[in-house]
Amino acid sequence: MNTKIEHNQEFNDRREKDLLRHILKTSWRYKLWIAFLILVILIGMYGYYRQLKYGLVVTAMRDYTSWGIYISNFVFFVAISLVGSLFSSILKLNKNEWSKPLTRISEIIAVSAIICAIVIIIVDMGRPDRFFYVIRYLRIQSPIIWDVIIISTYLVISLILLYISLLPDLALCRDRLKAIPNWKKKLYRVLAINWQNDPRQVTMLQKVTKILAISVLPVAFAIHTVTSWLFATTWRPGWDSTNLGPYFVSGAFMAGAAAIIIAMYFIRKSINLKAYITEAHFDKMGKLLVLLSLVYLYFNINEYLGPAFKMVGVEGEHITELFVGNYAPMYWFVQLGGLVFPIVLLLFKGMRRSLPIFIISIFIILGAWFKRFLIVIPSLQHPYLPIQGVDESYLHYNPTWEEWTITFASFAWFLLIITVLIKLFPVIPIQKHEHLSKRHPILNF
Amino acid sequence: MKTAIYNISWVLRISYSVLFVFLNFYTVSGQENGTMEDAKIALSFNEEADSKIIIATATNFNNDPIEDLELYFYVKRTFSNLPIGDIFNVTDETGTVKIEFPNDLPGDSEGNVTILVKIIDSDLYNDQTIETIKKWGVPSPSPDQLDEKRSLWAAAANAPIPLILIISALIFSIWFIIFYIIYTLFKISKIEIIKSKPY
Amino acid sequence: MEDNNPRSDSRRKFLKKLSTGSVLAATGLAFNPLSSCKDKSTKKTTLLTPDGKLVQVPNSEIEAMEHLYHGAPPEEARKGIPGKKFVMVVDLSKCKNARKCIQACDKHHNLTPDRPYIKVLEMKDNEGSSPYWLPKKCFQCDNPPCVKVCPVGATFKRSDGIVLIDNERCIGCRFCMAACPYSARVFNWGNPPEGKLNLPYSPETSLPSKQGTVAKCDFCPDMLRQDKLPHCVTSCPNGVIYFGNELEDAVTNGEETVRLSTLLRDKAGYRYMEELGTKPRVYYLPPVDRLFPFEKENSENSAS
Repeated sequence: MNTKIEHNQEFNDRREKDLLRHILKTSWRYKLWIAFLILVILIGMYGYYRQLKYGLVVTAMRDYTSWGIYISNFVFFVAISLVGSLFSSILKLNKNEWSKPLTRISEIIAVSAIICAIVIIIVDMGRPDRFFYVIRYLRIQSPIIWDVIIISTYLVISLILLYISLLPDLALCRDRLKAIPNWKKKLYRVLAINWQNDPRQVTMLQKVTKILAISVLPVAFAIHTVTSWLFATTWRPGWDSTNLGPYFVSGAFMAGAAAIIIAMYFIRKSINLKAYITEAHFDKMGKLLVLLSLVYLYFNINEYLGPAFKMVGVEGEHITELFVGNYAPMYWFVQLGGLVFPIVLLLFKGMRRSLPIFIISIFIILGAWFKRFLIVIPSLQHPYLPIQGVDESYLHYNPTWEEWTITFASFAWFLLIITVLIKLFPVIPIQKHEHLSKRHPILNF
Repeated sequence: MKTAIYNISWVLRISYSVLFVFLNFYTVSGQENGTMEDAKIALSFNEEADSKIIIATATNFNNDPIEDLELYFYVKRTFSNLPIGDIFNVTDETGTVKIEFPNDLPGDSEGNVTILVKIIDSDLYNDQTIETIKKWGVPSPSPDQLDEKRSLWAAAANAPIPLILIISALIFSIWFIIFYIIYTLFKISKIEIIKSKPY
Repeated sequence: MEDNNPRSDSRRKFLKKLSTGSVLAATGLAFNPLSSCKDKSTKKTTLLTPDGKLVQVPNSEIEAMEHLYHGAPPEEARKGIPGKKFVMVVDLSKCKNARKCIQACDKHHNLTPDRPYIKVLEMKDNEGSSPYWLPKKCFQCDNPPCVKVCPVGATFKRSDGIVLIDNERCIGCRFCMAACPYSARVFNWGNPPEGKLNLPYSPETSLPSKQGTVAKCDFCPDMLRQDKLPHCVTSCPNGVIYFGNELEDAVTNGEETVRLSTLLRDKAGYRYMEELGTKPRVYYLPPVDRLFPFEKENSENSAS
């Protein structure tokens, strides 16, 4: 039946056909994937139902380890969301032609990640019923409030960023796609807000795109810097560091780039876009990833060398715990498997082909997630005053199944948003506006 | 086990208090027999440039000075009475004892302090307490001086002004841009297309 | 311990009244919450203990009378007691880990023993020095990191120096727990044990406890409003904890009253980790010339 629909559909050129085809055709694999994601989300929702019913006691968090994988997962998602700005702003302003097909993927990932970050932070709250107290009793002095402000701003900016670049393509969907259900037709019609490729419209849109590309960058830096201040404004070992802001931001760009590579790999396979996401793109991404990883490595060295050299009190205990203690296997996996080896491997051209770089990126993403675990949890287990006279369960932190299912559900939720957005909209920008504006050589893109 | 210990302690306490009541009844009734009497204590306060002296003079009902009477001097505080003077303050042959009032002791917001002079557990005289209020203390800060300043730990209403200004400026500038973009999108949607040209 | 001055004072007043014939005062005083005179009545009441035993207690000893005063409602509790700046001094040379402060605190704040507000920590500053006990409460800092980070003002600093928590506003983000360098805060992870009394909530007692919110040592403001000492101070058998109003420059451990400035000067009082700049309102006197040998188990803490 799908094929029949496709036959009824007419396209102007091959590019349009290639990039719009997946909107029409729904494969059984897609349905199975969606079903799987929904199942994972449902299991997570059962875990959250239990948490709502019995309280946070169902988690492994206790008075010393008072933040757990929810918070580390939150930091992870905030990190991933930064990638939107990398492509829509940094690479765009540098007039990189090759990165243009990847812009929309990065924007979709950014929107999805920031939504998941918001969801997971509500999950972490002891009293989610009082969420709106954050607005009602807002205290501007608190870094959490700064984070709330900047995250909501970034969410809006990410949505606008995605929408603006999508607008001409939405009009194309509206005009070209005939063999689609009525609700989709209506969706495209409403979202395309009377876009007719009129020169006046194009000029206005390009102006707006420029403004946005410039203004998203400070917001993106701010979102992760403010998130790092949630830690840096305390006295915990490993958090009490002036290095934390750039350390977080650089780590975020690296993790985001790896996320893009993974997404590229799957999108290319599943909707057959080999002609648009080429091996050359993977090669470029590999080089970019090496650069971003080197920056992150630099801040990593800065983060650990000072405390490891001085070995002051609880800072020293914390370093010992990471380097040779209980967390050593995870720490060295993260630092070597998720940072050093990828840098070395990606220096070789052969490793920057799609499959090897995809596998390396998975290691980077795993490393990035566990890195956030290592940032949040061991620090809390080394307070200034010794931990004594408490229940044995207060001394360790092994996340419970409720925590894991909720965390996996957040990943599923993340992937579900990405999948649905990719399914609904062209994943590679179809319309190009290469002409226009010779006035400003740098900002002409 | 625990209850047993408690019970024992109760027995001890009760027997102790019975004994106490008994003894006190004895002393109280002793007064009626004339063996105990009230001492008269006259207080005078001598204030000089750098010292404040409390002079207490104890006399008996014949107005004769009482020698070797131990007096206790206190300043009233919230939870208890703060002893002042020496460890033992005993009257001399003229029935007088002088103690120095500390110069730096805080009083209430006006500097008033409540001075207590007591006879406690004397063999010959009944217990008594004389209470005087003197403006000898250092005035403690009045309530409005205790009000919280603008600080990072203050309530929301007392946030530091620079912080409010910086954050407001940032929010305003970025949301101004956001609203400008939304406004532009609105304008884009309102552009009338004369001829929908094919592309 | 019962023979401190204010108490024997009231006892004497009482006896004078008795001598003038008002025998009725005896029963009246047993129920007068302002009097500490405990030892007169022999009437007993049967009570159910939390562990399910029936015990008989003399009426005069029922301390629950204190809870008739329950603490101010949330809005009023934010203001603090006028003209006071509460301060605590803990004399480490006297502590023998009797743990009576913990028990009294747990009882009055309705806490389970696994997560008390007060901890008595075994400390050893370096390998050469000898171990000592460090009773640790909330330090009620004057530059409180926990209050700084609270997004909703659920934890706040009062004019009397006390840092309190409004459990009806707390959103349970636990940022304050991460920010506190002294690990003073505990969280109601699960459903907290419900209080026996069906009282309206007050931040001054943080009772009844609320699930999903933070709690901590609060210097017992409900007691302070009645000019009574916190429970940990009165329950300590060794007079370790001194408490008072800094503006009056006096602290008392229930037995002796001393000038705060003199005590800190003469005994080299210090605040834990002064270098953090949190300005705690709890001072320590160094564990020198100790009254008791350091024993992990002693008659007082092992029995319970």
